[in-house]
Amino acid sequence: MKKNQKLLCFFKNEKWRKTIRTMKMMAVLFLLFNITVIAGQSAGDEIYFNLKMKDATLVDILMEIENISGLGFLFKSEEFEVDQRMSVNLRHVKLTEALDEILDKCYSYQILDNSNIVITKIKETSDDPVSQPVRTITGRVTDEKGDPLIGVSVVIKGTTIGTVTDLDGNFTISGISDDAVLQFSYIGMQAEEIIVGEKETIRLIMIQEAIGLSEVIAIGYGARKKETLTGAISYIKSEDILTTTHSSLAQSLQGKIAGLQIRQYTGEPGDFNAMINIRGFGSPLYVIDGVVRDGGSEFQKLNPEDIESISVLKDASAAIYGLNAANGVIIVTTKKGSMGKVRFNYNTSLGFITPTNIPRMADAAEYMEMRNDALVTIGESPYLPESELEKYKQGAPGYEGTDWYDETMKKYSNQIQHNFSAQGGNEFVHYFLSFGYLGENGLLKSGDLDYQKYTFRSNITTQLTRNLTAEVNFSGRNDRKRAPGQIYENILKGTRVSLPTEPVYANDNPEYLSVVAPTNLNPVAYADREYTGYNDDRNKFLQTTLVLTYKAPFLEGLEIKGLGSFDSNNYGGKDVLKSYKLYTYDEINDIYIANEQRKPSRISNAINDNNRLTLQAHLVYNKTIANDHNVGVTLVYEQRQGWSRYSYLEREYEFYTNDQINQASVNNQITDGNETDWANLSYLGRLTYNFKGKYLVEYAARYNGSYRYAPGKKYGYFPVISGGWRMSEESFIKNNLTFISNIKIRGSYGIVGEDVGVPFQWAQGFSTAGGGGYEFINGIYTQGAASPTIVNPSLTWSESNIKNIGIDIGLLRGKLAMEFDVYQRDRSGLLAVRDVVLPNTFGGTLPEENLNSDRVRGIEFILAHNNKIGELNYSLAANFNYARTMNVHVERAPFQSSYDRWRNGLSDRWSDVVWAYDLMGQFQNLEEVIMSPGQNGTLGNLKELPGDYKYRDVNGDGLIDNNDMLPLFWGGEPKLHFGLSFSATWKNFDLFALLQGSGKYSMRFWGGGSYGEMFCFGGNLPAYFYDRWHPVDPYDPNSEWVSGEWPATRTKYDVGAMYYESAAWRNDASYIRLKTIDLGYTLTNDVVNKVGIDNLRLFVNVHNLFTICDPWVKIFDPEKIEGVGGVIGLAYPVTASYNFGLNVKF
Amino acid sequence: MKSIKIIIYSILVLLFITACSDDILDKRPMDKLDSEALLSSPEGRVSFLANLYYQLPIEDFLFRPQGGEFNFRGNNNGKYLPYSTDEAVHSEANVAGFLHGQNELKWWEEGYKLIRDVNLLISVIPDLTINEEERNTLMGEAAFIRAYSYYGLVKRYGGVPLIKELQIFEDDIESIKVPRSTEKETWDFVLSECDVAINNLPEDWYDGYNRRPTKWAAYALKSRVALHAASIAKFWNEAPLSGPAVDQGLVGIQASEANGYYQACILASQAIMNSGKFSLHKPTPANPQEAAENYREMFEDPALAPEEVIFLKGFSIPGLGHAYDFWLQPNQTSNGAPHPGRMNPSLDFVDCYESYNNPGQSSPIVTTVDGDVNNYNGFDKTRTYLRFNNPYEIFEGKDARLWGTVVLPGTVWKGKTIVIQGGYVKPDETARIEVDESIVVNGTTYYTFGGSDYTEYSGFKVLGGRMTKSGFSFKKFLSTIDVPPELNQSTNDWIEFRYGEILLNFAEAVVESNHNAQTEAAQALNSIRHRAGHTVDIPLTLENVLRERVVELAFENKRNWDLNRRRIYHKDLHNTVRKVLIPLLDLRVDPPQYIFVRRNAARERARTYLPKEYYRYIPDVGASGLVQNPEW
Repeated sequence: MKKNQKLLCFFKNEKWRKTIRTMKMMAVLFLLFNITVIAGQSAGDEIYFNLKMKDATLVDILMEIENISGLGFLFKSEEFEVDQRMSVNLRHVKLTEALDEILDKCYSYQILDNSNIVITKIKETSDDPVSQPVRTITGRVTDEKGDPLIGVSVVIKGTTIGTVTDLDGNFTISGISDDAVLQFSYIGMQAEEIIVGEKETIRLIMIQEAIGLSEVIAIGYGARKKETLTGAISYIKSEDILTTTHSSLAQSLQGKIAGLQIRQYTGEPGDFNAMINIRGFGSPLYVIDGVVRDGGSEFQKLNPEDIESISVLKDASAAIYGLNAANGVIIVTTKKGSMGKVRFNYNTSLGFITPTNIPRMADAAEYMEMRNDALVTIGESPYLPESELEKYKQGAPGYEGTDWYDETMKKYSNQIQHNFSAQGGNEFVHYFLSFGYLGENGLLKSGDLDYQKYTFRSNITTQLTRNLTAEVNFSGRNDRKRAPGQIYENILKGTRVSLPTEPVYANDNPEYLSVVAPTNLNPVAYADREYTGYNDDRNKFLQTTLVLTYKAPFLEGLEIKGLGSFDSNNYGGKDVLKSYKLYTYDEINDIYIANEQRKPSRISNAINDNNRLTLQAHLVYNKTIANDHNVGVTLVYEQRQGWSRYSYLEREYEFYTNDQINQASVNNQITDGNETDWANLSYLGRLTYNFKGKYLVEYAARYNGSYRYAPGKKYGYFPVISGGWRMSEESFIKNNLTFISNIKIRGSYGIVGEDVGVPFQWAQGFSTAGGGGYEFINGIYTQGAASPTIVNPSLTWSESNIKNIGIDIGLLRGKLAMEFDVYQRDRSGLLAVRDVVLPNTFGGTLPEENLNSDRVRGIEFILAHNNKIGELNYSLAANFNYARTMNVHVERAPFQSSYDRWRNGLSDRWSDVVWAYDLMGQFQNLEEVIMSPGQNGTLGNLKELPGDYKYRDVNGDGLIDNNDMLPLFWGGEPKLHFGLSFSATWKNFDLFALLQGSGKYSMRFWGGGSYGEMFCFGGNLPAYFYDRWHPVDPYDPNSEWVSGEWPATRTKYDVGAMYYESAAWRNDASYIRLKTIDLGYTLTNDVVNKVGIDNLRLFVNVHNLFTICDPWVKIFDPEKIEGVGGVIGLAYPVTASYNFGLNVKF
Repeated sequence: MKSIKIIIYSILVLLFITACSDDILDKRPMDKLDSEALLSSPEGRVSFLANLYYQLPIEDFLFRPQGGEFNFRGNNNGKYLPYSTDEAVHSEANVAGFLHGQNELKWWEEGYKLIRDVNLLISVIPDLTINEEERNTLMGEAAFIRAYSYYGLVKRYGGVPLIKELQIFEDDIESIKVPRSTEKETWDFVLSECDVAINNLPEDWYDGYNRRPTKWAAYALKSRVALHAASIAKFWNEAPLSGPAVDQGLVGIQASEANGYYQACILASQAIMNSGKFSLHKPTPANPQEAAENYREMFEDPALAPEEVIFLKGFSIPGLGHAYDFWLQPNQTSNGAPHPGRMNPSLDFVDCYESYNNPGQSSPIVTTVDGDVNNYNGFDKTRTYLRFNNPYEIFEGKDARLWGTVVLPGTVWKGKTIVIQGGYVKPDETARIEVDESIVVNGTTYYTFGGSDYTEYSGFKVLGGRMTKSGFSFKKFLSTIDVPPELNQSTNDWIEFRYGEILLNFAEAVVESNHNAQTEAAQALNSIRHRAGHTVDIPLTLENVLRERVVELAFENKRNWDLNRRRIYHKDLHNTVRKVLIPLLDLRVDPPQYIFVRRNAARERARTYLPKEYYRYIPDVGASGLVQNPEW
């Protein structure tokens, strides 16, 4: 009985439009709004039953029918005359007969999907004989892409007559007069009104709300409607993710979510190392389907087609996740099944990938000219005679040189994707099944670099009993990256460094790869597994989740849920690093002399078995008291555990045979291994209260324990309080300022923690590894145990204090929307070693302690607009985020002087600032060189030449030295991020474009790498250096100088202050790029229906089509980091891709 | 009914989940053990002790004096402690500045790290669940390690902070600052720790791990330490220093203390001599050839001489290997790696040995008829050189230990005749020395270095440090296997304390303190000489004892500290260049014969030892607040 009152509660405050959509979003709504959809045992019409009740209300009677039939009723409680009582006595009636009897003429009903029955009151006016003739019309409602919208509420304006659209988006409504106006409403879509007039049928395309106020957003252990959110939480839906085609999910999100900072460091296939960062905080916590599944690469490898939505908790609302949520939380919800016949979806694309840019290296003639300069300008004899140089310039036979990049790398590679899914459900079971394949080839000509990924997902929800639902989610991934036996950085380095005057093959005989100056970095050999062997990485990954949800029949609004999840990742890495031969040709004897590289050959296997177990118990209670007070309580117990085992085997070959570990020699073998075991335990709770949906308050807290700290120091308490005021619900706005559809002011404040430090630092312990050994018995070496390091028993997590204030505004019925947030995070307890100098008789060093602190401050806004002009639907959205980090306390020794403090102090200053010399230009002539302040200490300006850089003598002491440096640049981390998207549909066309950019950072390729230093590694140099200062006569150092963009070319040993940090080498790297443009055409139903297809969409999309930024930065790509893993500018190039694809629904 | 069931099930599920509760956080690190878990088992104790013994400052094959590193397995370019003394010159490096810098011979932070480790051990011993005997032995081992550690410090730095308990740092830095004790207090502490070790260590190890220190090793340490301390007291005034460290007694000991230390040395040595456990290895050889081999084999494999070995440090692969064979081999027997021949025994050293026909005297190598051994001016055609048919003839009659320690020119090593020749004298009486040349005389081609290709000889050519420039190549400690091991693959064990040293410590202490055990000491001295093939006894004199130390303990890294404690260094190295012996082929006669030229080593700058170097520089006194050693 009580269950039905719950139904009433729900509908009391809701409009009709909510009803059937529930099925589509069942999984989410189940948990949050306690909508009861009662699945019956069989179709209602086939049941015969008896019904005998006395003096019962209509509601009581309907409830009894629900109990008997298993069907669910949806109705508006205010339409029911609750006090009216009646008696019924029906024997062996069908459902329809019973309903006809009970509802009489006062109510109409409609059976949906054989399981839900919608009851509406028949308006009395319809009985009015004076009114105009009434008729019935039909129609269809779709979204912008032509997909049917199921469950759209259709109501005749000013009446309570209404219906909802069925599984094909069709509706039929009767009781229409000619002057009737139909109101259409649907979650996440702009409400529409259509004047019926003389129309017989109505076709409506609904467009998305700019910011869907009524969308339900996952917020961590629950979900919430956007309009009642009090935290700073962003949200993106499946279709907005899929507009970009890329192997990494990160790339499909970049620029689309305010405050989600993403940067792709490389474009290497299978390299899921993009920086993902919420608001400049650091690497976030990832939650997939309600379970913490941490690790950026796990997230980036998700199949975007499986994702229903992603929420991003950006402020202290992350505190519900306690430890490890200090950097915010990304919550992924995957697709679930929904009621209805099976819908198949097949999606494929084929793409071509090409580097966004790669600097060209000097060709043989340019190189020789510059090499010659390098000696002549410093007064030494030329590198080669003029006649020889001339031959290089002419490209005479034998003097053409080698373009190493062209020899090694392709212009284009390709990627291919197939995704297939099936979605549907009946009363018992809802399912979403998907299978995905992605293959991406690398740019190596050898074809030995590629990545392949297979994914599947099976999300199944079943109704076990009337109150008990089970959800079984099972997904897996098998992926593999293949690479040659040299890391890519070395291959690219080979194309940068190897001299263009060297041949690929000795004596041009393709059997014999050549020994190559300066350091045998023959990239053609490196890139080829035949020569260098291979690196092969495989991952087998399984995620399983079982959720049982029980709706307590004894207390309405109470729900109990248990969740168990087990994930397992099996990594296998295999490296075969072969020794190989390069050759020189001995012309006189006509023999090839072998030069063996990298001897001996080695083989290794690395195996890692990683496991994760999560158990949760939830207690959820929601209730509305006295109509206006909405109260919610969530209590959760959670425990998470993980364990892993790693093994490593390596052997050396005496001679290479087969790539099996047991085929290699047992000599010099290496084995290694370790295991980890961790656990977290939490109790968390959330209390929400709102008054009339107008004044919102929420308090949440997590009591979180971590295994890694000392007993007594394991548990932390992480609370958050937030509140909001929906000003637009106040009558002075609602009634007077109708153009305002939404204004909400919200704020939050909370404390979040972050696990820091190596686990078990509190435990004083001896380690059986790491000590020196001793031979106690002749011939037997005893490995020694290392004595304990000094421990810090009070080591604990760092604590973040996050504040956020925001305002949401919606105008003109949602056509224009904006959100604005200001935030600050104060983090304390960062690790540092205490700055005390211990006497060196102490015999130990101090451990890390929670000493340092920092602060991030930022602003963020979103602007969105959508509109419809005729058949053109369009929307524009902009997001912007600017955040800076300040070091508040940095543990260090006392300053020696005020200069020391100014120059070297870090505390209370913005981080990521680069000190540099103030560049005044280039020396125009030798006279100027001589007259300028000395730039090289005791050498004065002896090494400077015209064209070299001249720096400002800031302190005026006649010397250019460290004391003249100024904080002139932001460093390498962008502080400003923005995205600007445009989407439109017109007839059957749809278009999406996304401009994305970052700013407030700089980039330099340091000396020590090929791009920032001439003749680096004694090798070739980039062609841009050819535009240089040089003597008119390359054989006469005293001839007149010709000016150029760059200083005179010479080796690093012959330069003065040329490579000092300054604007000559460091450039503002701000950029804006067309991240995505996606154009689709959907074939109309009539054409494709004949072959059984509901919907066929063809599309073209381009990723990273063009970039606007500083021209010098552009040739490296502004997103690429200057030194991934210590290599300087040698990471795999960032790529652009051109994709063609089709999407079929049937 | 149904709903009751469901409620029950739900509760069960909840119970199951929460039952796993709190103790899941109660994890222990998988790579750490507590002291009880580790140290209460014999294997665990041995494992922990392995790391402590590993850290002992034993100046063995892997000791790198430059930078003061122990167990050094990087590339030291074949530079070892003997280059700092008069024992040898380096084939390539100019070692003029060897050991003069602040970091050389340094062992400070590492020393206090070891002391911290052993103090930690001492702090947990009382609480371990082990039997009394095990507890006592462990105390003995800890005391031995601590004595050895402080000995390593005091011989370098003089008095040092004596940290006898595990220090715990909370907030107060001042509380962990310990001032230097006086040098005397420091030596006394080392001796008292030796006594603790002596009283607690067993006479033998029966548990298999038998290379741990015994009671006798502790006595041996005490013998060495006491002799060192006595010498400091006695010879301090030979090179007095001044300054705050001296004023406070942090360096230097009053001469009046000397005899007490000598007495301690005598008693400790006697304990070993009277134990009946030790003797010299093969003490009565039949002839000098046998004596030379007996002496050599003991260092190649100490396992052959268990009666002489009191304490040794083992080397093994896998584990710890050294590089003596790699660096010090004559060029001709190297394994092809371009690095042999670094250690060149000096003529100064070779001169020290007695001849059997002149007992009790060093007999310098006489090269000319006039017998002048003090002319180092190079070849002089006006002098009359002694001529020999074989280059080693000139050494005949010299102490067998020379033949066991040094590869002499023309002798056979590993089946090869080692050619060491510095040049020739042409028939026109001009000498070509240390230049690569050849000449045809009477139809035969002669090469300055004794061969046409560098693989055929082992001396004098300047070729990446491969060749000796002293006329001698190194032999002691090298293994006789044909192909020498690669870098850090040699596994000969290092004898740290042997009976021979104890006899000499005893003899020196008796002589220096004029002790009444004169006869016993003379016997000790002569028993060592007998082992070396001598048959005529010599009297117990200081000169005879010191000569025996030079030749008997050659290259055992004792010489550096003998020069130090006796304050000889600054006299021995005073603008001094080491001397070498250059064999020349004299083509003025037919058939050609060998002559020898005594000369200063080539490519060597003169060396001077400053008195301040008797005490090394103490690092970072700013933070520790310690008084620095004089003149640093």
